[in-house]
Amino acid sequence: MRQALFGLIRKEFIQVFRDRNMLRLIFLMPIIQLLLFGYVVNIDVKDIDLDVYDFDRSSESRELVQATSANNYFTPHDTVIALRNLEDNFQNSSSDMAIIIPHDFSEKLMRKESPTIALISDGSNANSTAIGTGYMAQIVQSFTKGYYWVEPPLKIRFDVLYNPEAESVYYMVPGIVATLLTMITVMLTSMAIVREREVGTLEQLLVTPIKGRVLLIGKLIPFAILGLLEIVIALTAGVLWFQVPFVGSPILLFALAGLYLITPLGIGLFFSNVTSTQQQAMFFAWFFSVFAILTSGFFTPISNMPMWMQYITYLNPMRYFMEIVRAIMMKGATLPDLTFQVGVLIFYGISIFSLSALRFSKRTA
Amino acid sequence: MRKIKFIATKEFYHILRDPKSLAIAIAMPIMMTFLYGYAINLDIEHVTIGIIDYDKTAESKELTDAFYESSYFSRPEVEVLDSDAEALLRSSHAIGLLYIRPGFSDALLNGRQFELGMTIDGSDNNLSAAVLNYSNGLVFQFMLDHLPHGVEIPKVDIATQNLYNPDLKSSHFFVPGLVALILMMISAMLTSITIAREKETGTMEQLLTAPVSPRQILLGKILPYIFLALLDGFLVLVVAKLFFGIPFAGSQLLLFAFGLIYVATALALGILISSLTKTQQVAMMLAQMTTLLPSVMLSGFIFPIKNMPLLLQLISNIVPARFFVVIIRGITLKGAGLEILAAQGLYLIILMAVLMLVAAKKFSTRIA
Amino acid sequence: MSHAVEINKLSRHFGSFKAVDEISLTVSHGEIFGFLGANGAGKTTAIRMLCGLLLPTGGNGTVAGCDIMKEPEKIKTKIGYMSQKFSLYGELTGRENINFYGSVYGMNKREISSRIDELTEKLQLQDLLHRQSHSLPVGWRQRLALAVALLHQPKIIFLDEPTGGVDPIFRRKFWSTLYDLGEEGITIFVTTHYMDEAEYCGRISIMHQGKIVEMGKPFDLVARHKAENLEQMFIGLINERGSSGA
Repeated sequence: MRQALFGLIRKEFIQVFRDRNMLRLIFLMPIIQLLLFGYVVNIDVKDIDLDVYDFDRSSESRELVQATSANNYFTPHDTVIALRNLEDNFQNSSSDMAIIIPHDFSEKLMRKESPTIALISDGSNANSTAIGTGYMAQIVQSFTKGYYWVEPPLKIRFDVLYNPEAESVYYMVPGIVATLLTMITVMLTSMAIVREREVGTLEQLLVTPIKGRVLLIGKLIPFAILGLLEIVIALTAGVLWFQVPFVGSPILLFALAGLYLITPLGIGLFFSNVTSTQQQAMFFAWFFSVFAILTSGFFTPISNMPMWMQYITYLNPMRYFMEIVRAIMMKGATLPDLTFQVGVLIFYGISIFSLSALRFSKRTA
Repeated sequence: MRKIKFIATKEFYHILRDPKSLAIAIAMPIMMTFLYGYAINLDIEHVTIGIIDYDKTAESKELTDAFYESSYFSRPEVEVLDSDAEALLRSSHAIGLLYIRPGFSDALLNGRQFELGMTIDGSDNNLSAAVLNYSNGLVFQFMLDHLPHGVEIPKVDIATQNLYNPDLKSSHFFVPGLVALILMMISAMLTSITIAREKETGTMEQLLTAPVSPRQILLGKILPYIFLALLDGFLVLVVAKLFFGIPFAGSQLLLFAFGLIYVATALALGILISSLTKTQQVAMMLAQMTTLLPSVMLSGFIFPIKNMPLLLQLISNIVPARFFVVIIRGITLKGAGLEILAAQGLYLIILMAVLMLVAAKKFSTRIA
Repeated sequence: MSHAVEINKLSRHFGSFKAVDEISLTVSHGEIFGFLGANGAGKTTAIRMLCGLLLPTGGNGTVAGCDIMKEPEKIKTKIGYMSQKFSLYGELTGRENINFYGSVYGMNKREISSRIDELTEKLQLQDLLHRQSHSLPVGWRQRLALAVALLHQPKIIFLDEPTGGVDPIFRRKFWSTLYDLGEEGITIFVTTHYMDEAEYCGRISIMHQGKIVEMGKPFDLVARHKAENLEQMFIGLINERGSSGA
């Protein structure tokens, strides 16, 4: 049955390479998405629009306002003093926070009493509000130092590993790689068999003596190869274009990607079996992708989620692969560090694949 | 009018007779609402921190408790080994390690300078920044509580007030914005695919040979999708209210009016796409590239526009979702009225008018 | 194995619906057998069972000497199949399509290429080997599909409406090819809606609501029903049965 297997693989590749739209989907999409994601997927909080209501108008208050623009944390806008404007600017999102400096600010500062300033935030963006409040506390603390000359006795010395430059793109590119690999393989496999069914070639194949499992493997190997190619493209683009450091072993990453692929291929196959048109298959694949991306910890840490949602994320195979890619690329993790993730992926791979293979019997297809 | 009704009825049957696709069109928005509401959560909580206490005094114990009792931090599930504590970071069992060296309690009680050590997994830069901030805050507060008698540190107090979302819940930010995405998804993507399908199967030709004008066909085809889009939008808002407690501070009528304008814009986009494509597959891909992707990525729905490179910021100006996101957040969360949102509304109307004109022109020249 | 196809009370039920209800027939070697019936009469279900695509729910039978119930996979090595869709890969050229199906039947390169030479002569394939098959006219695609069905030298071929959408000239050529194949000893089991084609068959059967209601040589049947031609007989038979069945 070697001829049959090779024949299938060759056929599948000819089909992919003669179909321009397919080619674009496979080779151009990853690069476009990588570039777009790399630049856009960034929840860093900076340049917060800050309305300034300075009732003090002293050199000290001006100095404080000046200090807020350090490190691009805030963009202060000097505002006409009329407090009724304050909410208007929040409501059409032209401003995120407002600081009110009372008229006795400099006076109290000079007398070494503790003056109070007010910080009012548009809380609808919870994240930037929390982080902006933190920034403001830091800025005010170091501003105060200049006037009180007091060093707090207890401090923490921080030692940030793996991504000390705090580049979010370093964290996002490995995530994009995992996402792309999942989306493209599930999408392609889910359409692969349903398409042959729509055109009628599946029936033609089924009246041949080809073995069910040869057919299955012959259909999947090409997509597995394309998937691995996808990883190479995305990683190369990430390393060359975004200068993402690659600390760990590329061979380990590649091997584990191969292991992981069994799962999305099996899922795609399952969709292909339960749908009757390409459109339905696309919807199923898309539905799955949205679920997989949002519960993978791609944008936001899983530890932030409510507990029950964290349990749901254990069902998402991409979650484990996302951890693997990030750990290998950023932390140089080795196999022993990843035993749990690898174990789960083996379990998922075997069970999902056998489930799909069982459903794909030559008779019922 | 009757003809339009016939076509619309036929289209309704199409939708209803493909239960798998319909299930997705209804279930997708609801699943997305729950996922965006619960899973996409930027509020840092329960970050696992390992604490290595060499001091082993009542004070160091108290500091450890202060960390673990705050909602920000929690204990790792595996034991922290003194020998290779960093393995915990490599295997992602912990995000940070706090070292309390010997002499901590001594220095604290006598008001001497002392430095704690903390190693953080910086790979997720947002998370590590948050860990850094929270730890600093915790330790500063701990220090203030343990200052020796008579010592006082004067400072500038910040009185903070968070409007609209005093509990600072991420879901308040994401869930209303999601409506923009879902309306776009149903209106633009489904219409473009359905028109492409009629072309692919040849039924469009059949319709055009009947005595109906292209405009009537178009109207009949899109009516059911307007209905479906508004239904989906409504469902999301119901979930938003019931499960996430979104306040709905502003006028619902105003929201509905803007929603209609936005849906019209999205439909125009969908029609434009469908008149440029012949097959469902290409329509689907083009729709994803021109409607879905920009509505997620370039609308400010999740990712702040001001963080983007200038070119993408410029492009974001032609993404309708960008303006609708501001409008819907303004109305539901902040109770903004028409006078505040006039600029966004006007911009949306202009976008809609331009897209409608182009789409109508392309549709009649390409199809009729 | 005295007959190419021999089935006895073969049935296939889907729930309470009897798609095929106890049909029996025999087809001899080298015979051209016409399998007729209105749309939805159960022809496709019956053919799918004979090809080993669908397991019968009752009855028994053999195809090319293999048991339908027990050896469906073995049947597949001995039969050729051509569906009404001319199931070819549009992006592949004629030769690539043949190469692919050859590999699926376990043939090696040398066997395939010598077989292509033979079939090229027999079916005039020379112009379509190097063109992608989606760009071929229907009649050419039909020849290519037939070549695929004949590739592994099957003893029996099943043709499901092989001439749908093909012009009369091509249809005539196609049937003369089938006659040649019949003379080589290949059994042909064919469904069609064209009554002039049915007349070319050695014997025909007519299916209605899952049952075979009539079987015999075309002209015997016309005579037996005192009809002017096959078409009139067919319509008469279906109308009569349809009203009694309802």
